[in-house]
Amino acid sequence: MGADRLVIDLENISFAYPDGRDVLSGLSFKLDKGARAGLIGPNGSGKTTLLHMIMGLIPPSEGAIRLFGREMRSEKDFHESRKNIGLVFQNPDDQLFSPTVLEDVAFGPLNLGASPEEARDIAVKTLKDLHLTGFEDRISYRLSGGEKKLVALATVLAMNPAVLVMDEPTTGLDEKTNDRIVSILNTLDKTLLIVSHEYNFLARTTDDFYGIRDGQIFYAGESATLHTHYHAHAAGEVPHKHI
Amino acid sequence: MHISEGVLSAPVLAGGAAFAVAGIAVGLKKLDNNRIPQAGILAAAFFVASLVHVPIGPSSMHLILNGIVGLLMGWAAFPVIAVALVLQAILFQFGGITSLGVNTIIMAGPAVLGYYLFTPFIARGHTTAMAGAFACGFTAVLVSALIAAAALMLTGEAFLEVSAALVAAHIVVMIIEGIITMFCVAFLKKVQPSMLSIG
Amino acid sequence: MLSETFAFGDSAIHRLDPRLRVVFAGLLSILTAILNRFPAVIFAVFLALVLIGASRLPVRQVLARLAVVNGLVLFIWLILPWTFEGTPVVEIGPLVGSWEGIRLCALITLKSNAIILALIALVATMPVATLGYALHHLHLPDKLVYLLLMTYRYIFVIETEYQQLARAARIRCFKPGTNLHTYKTYAYMVGMLFVRASARAQRVHQAMVCRGFSGKFYCLHEFAFKSSDWAWSSAMGISLIVLGGLEWAPIV
Repeated sequence: MGADRLVIDLENISFAYPDGRDVLSGLSFKLDKGARAGLIGPNGSGKTTLLHMIMGLIPPSEGAIRLFGREMRSEKDFHESRKNIGLVFQNPDDQLFSPTVLEDVAFGPLNLGASPEEARDIAVKTLKDLHLTGFEDRISYRLSGGEKKLVALATVLAMNPAVLVMDEPTTGLDEKTNDRIVSILNTLDKTLLIVSHEYNFLARTTDDFYGIRDGQIFYAGESATLHTHYHAHAAGEVPHKHI
Repeated sequence: MHISEGVLSAPVLAGGAAFAVAGIAVGLKKLDNNRIPQAGILAAAFFVASLVHVPIGPSSMHLILNGIVGLLMGWAAFPVIAVALVLQAILFQFGGITSLGVNTIIMAGPAVLGYYLFTPFIARGHTTAMAGAFACGFTAVLVSALIAAAALMLTGEAFLEVSAALVAAHIVVMIIEGIITMFCVAFLKKVQPSMLSIG
Repeated sequence: MLSETFAFGDSAIHRLDPRLRVVFAGLLSILTAILNRFPAVIFAVFLALVLIGASRLPVRQVLARLAVVNGLVLFIWLILPWTFEGTPVVEIGPLVGSWEGIRLCALITLKSNAIILALIALVATMPVATLGYALHHLHLPDKLVYLLLMTYRYIFVIETEYQQLARAARIRCFKPGTNLHTYKTYAYMVGMLFVRASARAQRVHQAMVCRGFSGKFYCLHEFAFKSSDWAWSSAMGISLIVLGGLEWAPIV
């Protein structure tokens, strides 16, 4: 695989919290175009920090971030890269800041330079694609948790990014919404990076998964091998695949 | 604390509105576009906190908190408080359109004053900081009451007794606001000291 | 606990152009605030009642809102008539009520009720978001409009957080009283609200930056001035002129 296929390339990244605790130490990670990757790790292991670093929200204390083959040095570089990498935040109340759904979905396109009419059309179409037609004038804060999550996803997809990054997309969602998100993700032709605690969700949406431990990322296998073993299972103790 | 509609004279309302517009303009100028989310969400917190009722004896009072808003926001207290008052007017009709200017001055003037007078104390050691925070909460309500009294007196000498009663009625409130501001600053100094240097 | 009681309805007033409602509410309030003659003030109350009628709001809830204003008005009634020097009309023990004092109190009562009723009928009948767009189209500074919209968006979120904190205190047997422990508890809750609000603000800003925000705000809403809006604005214009006439026309 050539370097031109790399969309995310992190090299030797380190980061410490202001209070001095190390979160990431010498982390390296590469993600190819079209890859669908899951990331698992314990609370506080630096998963969110890592995502925020990819988005340019926090600078690493050491190391290099290359996105789409370009080295990211300044806020200006990241401002460009954010057009191609969309991040869905863990809590939709952090993402949806406008009074109504339509405005929130149109916010990204407007920032990308769309005219109000174009932004409105893009927003309406995106909502339609996610089967959220009729939500345009709904008040964001009155949506249910699941609806908020879907709208938050719409706000990012409206910008048509090449890479979709999601931070704990299933937190607090019921099974139905969970299924809806899985089916949406599986119809998207995008590079995916999903942080989640839910093995089943990752198994259904990604191809490979990675773990994060002691400030480093390691390849942990194919996602198809992931699932929880609540049930009695003859092969529960040994690695195996379900086909 | 606010003065209701229909009480004040035209010159007082107009003067209050003019000062409020000036204060809001300064506040907005000092507020970078990228800090609008910060100011808006803190304004929401201030709005919600001011709905909290705390008991005094058999009665209760709602919190005013303009002292702490001043410490957190500096001049941005003007637009933040004006927005909170607009929301109070629309959602509960606490106050209306014509007295908005005067009421903004009553609340935000002391907030900015407190910011300049007491911020230096807050940064110091525990005892000084606590005394400063108490004084900030106390003074903010005192000055609010005095501005309200002045607005009434400028409307007509007949309001002398009403003004005196207004200030007197707020003495207990001043003490409680002082105490609340003191504990609140102690909390913020421990948990998130960076917030107290916003301004 | 927080709700926009009057904002959603389908009356003639609810359908009026929000810009017109805001402008007329402003003009009517200002004019009413400076009135001094009873016929004019009574006409202002009448106008406000007509607007309330046209907005078809639940009478009971409107009255409940008026109770707040009239609490403050009562405070003035308790003092002003007895301290205002003038022609004595009533005596209760050592207290002498003057005609001028009572007249002033009556004037204040009518004026504040008229202004609040007009505010309820014209402005409280739109969601705050709509008010924000109306103010944007009336050329208020962008920063102020977005500050209002942002505050409005998050009061509901933060109110829920406060309720959670209060519940958490209650299940640990916190019982508010007049003591230092109570004030300290409330101060910590308020402090916690501010800390969480600030952390949330940071995340919201980050989420905005991720979607390309660089300090510029856009407004998507357009309003259309309909023919019924023209009819209403003429009626409102005429009523303002009549109101002015009742106040300033020379008494024959």
